[in-house]
Amino acid sequence: MRRRMVAAGAAGALTALALPAVASAHGLVGKQDLPIPRWLFAWGAAVVLVASFVGLAALWPTPRMQELRERVVGRVPAAVEVVCGAIGIAAFAIVVYAGLVGSQTALENLAPTSVYVLFWVGVPFVTFWAGDVFRFFNPWRAIARGVAWVGTRAISGPPPEAIEYPRWLGRWPAMAGIVVFAWVELGYVGRDDPSTLAIMMLAYAAVQLVGMSVFGIEPWLRNADPFGVLFGLFARLAPLHWRDGALAVRRPLTGLPSLDPRPGTVALVCTMIGTTAFDGFSQGTAWNDLAPDMQRWFIDLGLSARLSLEIVGTIGLVGGILAVAALYRLGVLGMRSVGERHTVDELSRSFAHTLVPIALAYVVAHYFSLLAYQGQATAFLISDPLGEGANIFGTSSSTIDYGWITATGIWYVQVGALIVGHVAGLMLAHDRALALYRDPRAATRSQYWMLAVMVGFTSLGLWLLSAAAQ
Amino acid sequence: MTLVPFAHFGHWWTSILYLAPVVAVVLWLAVQSWRGRRQDGGQEDE
Repeated sequence: MRRRMVAAGAAGALTALALPAVASAHGLVGKQDLPIPRWLFAWGAAVVLVASFVGLAALWPTPRMQELRERVVGRVPAAVEVVCGAIGIAAFAIVVYAGLVGSQTALENLAPTSVYVLFWVGVPFVTFWAGDVFRFFNPWRAIARGVAWVGTRAISGPPPEAIEYPRWLGRWPAMAGIVVFAWVELGYVGRDDPSTLAIMMLAYAAVQLVGMSVFGIEPWLRNADPFGVLFGLFARLAPLHWRDGALAVRRPLTGLPSLDPRPGTVALVCTMIGTTAFDGFSQGTAWNDLAPDMQRWFIDLGLSARLSLEIVGTIGLVGGILAVAALYRLGVLGMRSVGERHTVDELSRSFAHTLVPIALAYVVAHYFSLLAYQGQATAFLISDPLGEGANIFGTSSSTIDYGWITATGIWYVQVGALIVGHVAGLMLAHDRALALYRDPRAATRSQYWMLAVMVGFTSLGLWLLSAAAQ
Repeated sequence: MTLVPFAHFGHWWTSILYLAPVVAVVLWLAVQSWRGRRQDGGQEDE
C-alpha cells in the first residue's frame, strides 16, 4: 500500500490528470516531440479528407452499404448470457459497495476509475470492434430479465402487458441521460466523490428498472437506456454482430446505414460529440481564462462559489452540444440547397448515422491516454477496491507504467483516430447521398457540405487536443 | 484595454491556423458549387 502511494505520489500531476475532479487534461502526459507544428496536422487531415472526397466521387458511383449483409458464424448458448449478466450484476454491486463503504479518496477507491475510465471509456473501445458486448453484461438488463423469468413462473396466468413505448419519445431519454452523466463528469463539483457516485449508480439502476417494468425490457433498452443505446450505436461500426443467440460477421461500418433514425438520434450523437468537445475545450487556456470571470459574475449575483462553478460548467457543456448541433445543421441546410426538395428534417435524420464514427473518433482521441494510463490502476484497485490496504489478488503493489507509450505516440493515435473517424463519416455520407439523390451529380454536390462539416469537426478536434496539450 | 488581445496575440494566433483548412475548403466548395450551377444553367439554356 505504501509503495503504491509513493508511486502515485511520484507520478504527481500525471496521476492527477486521470480523474475528472483533478483533471487538467485527459490528453497528454509528458512533452511531445513532433516533426512539424501541431496545426500542420490539421492541414494534413484536411488534405486527406479532400482527397478521400475526390476519390469517393470518382470511384464509388453506386450505393454499396445500404443493404446489410451478414453471415452467421456461430451460436451463442443462452447460458453465456446468464453468466455474463451475473458477472455484470456482481461488478455493479462491488463498485457500488466500494463507493459507499470504501475510502472516500478518489484515487484509492475502485468506484471513480470503474465509472469514468473502465465503463465510460473502456466499453466504447471494446465495442467498436467486438460489437455490443455490453448488452450481455448490462446489469440492469440482467436483473430485469431475471425478475421477469421468476415472475412468469411464480404468477399463474399471463404477465401484465407493458405500455407501448411512445414512438415520438424515441431516443430522447437516452440523450437526456448522457447529458446528465456528462454534466456529472464535467460540471458537478462532487463528481469524484465515491459515495456520491455509488448513490447515483443506484438511482440510475432504479430508473432503468422502473422504465423496463413499465415499457418492457427490449423497447426500453433500444430507446431509453442511455449507455445501452450509446454503446449500441458504437457497436454498429463493428464487424461482429451479436443477435438472437448468434454471432454474425459483416464489413465494418455496414451496420450503421440500417440505423433507424427515430426522434432524438441526431441529438444523442451531437450530445456525445459536444460533451467530449467541451471536455477538451475546458482544459484549454481559452476556457480557463473565461471561466473564472463568468464564475465571479455569478458570485456577484449572490450565488455560492460552488454553485457558480457548476453553472459555468453547465453553460459550457450546453454550449458545446449546441455548437456541434449547429455545425451539423449548417451542413444539412447546405445539402438542402442542392435540388430534389428534400426537407431539412429528412436530411438531418438520413445522415445521422454518419456522425457515429465521428463521435467515436472524438472519444478515442480525447480519452485514449486516460484509458492507457489510468486504466492500469485497475490492477491495484481490484486487489484493494475499498482502498483500505487489502491485497485480494496480490496485485495491490502494481503501479502505473507511464513509459509504455510516449506523448508523441499518443498524439499520433489521436490524430489517426480523428482522420479515420471522419473519413468513415465521409464514406457513409457519400453512400447515403447516392441512395437518396436520383442524380449522382446532385449527390456529389450535396456532399460538398458534408465535407466542409467533416473538415470543421476534424480541425476542431485537433485544435481541442492541441489546446489541452499546451 | 483594446490592446490586450494584441498583447496576447502570441498565445492565440496559432488557433487561427486551425481554422485555415476549414476556410480553404469552404471557399473551394463555394467555387465548385458556383461552377456547377453555372454549368447546369448553360445546359438548360441549350
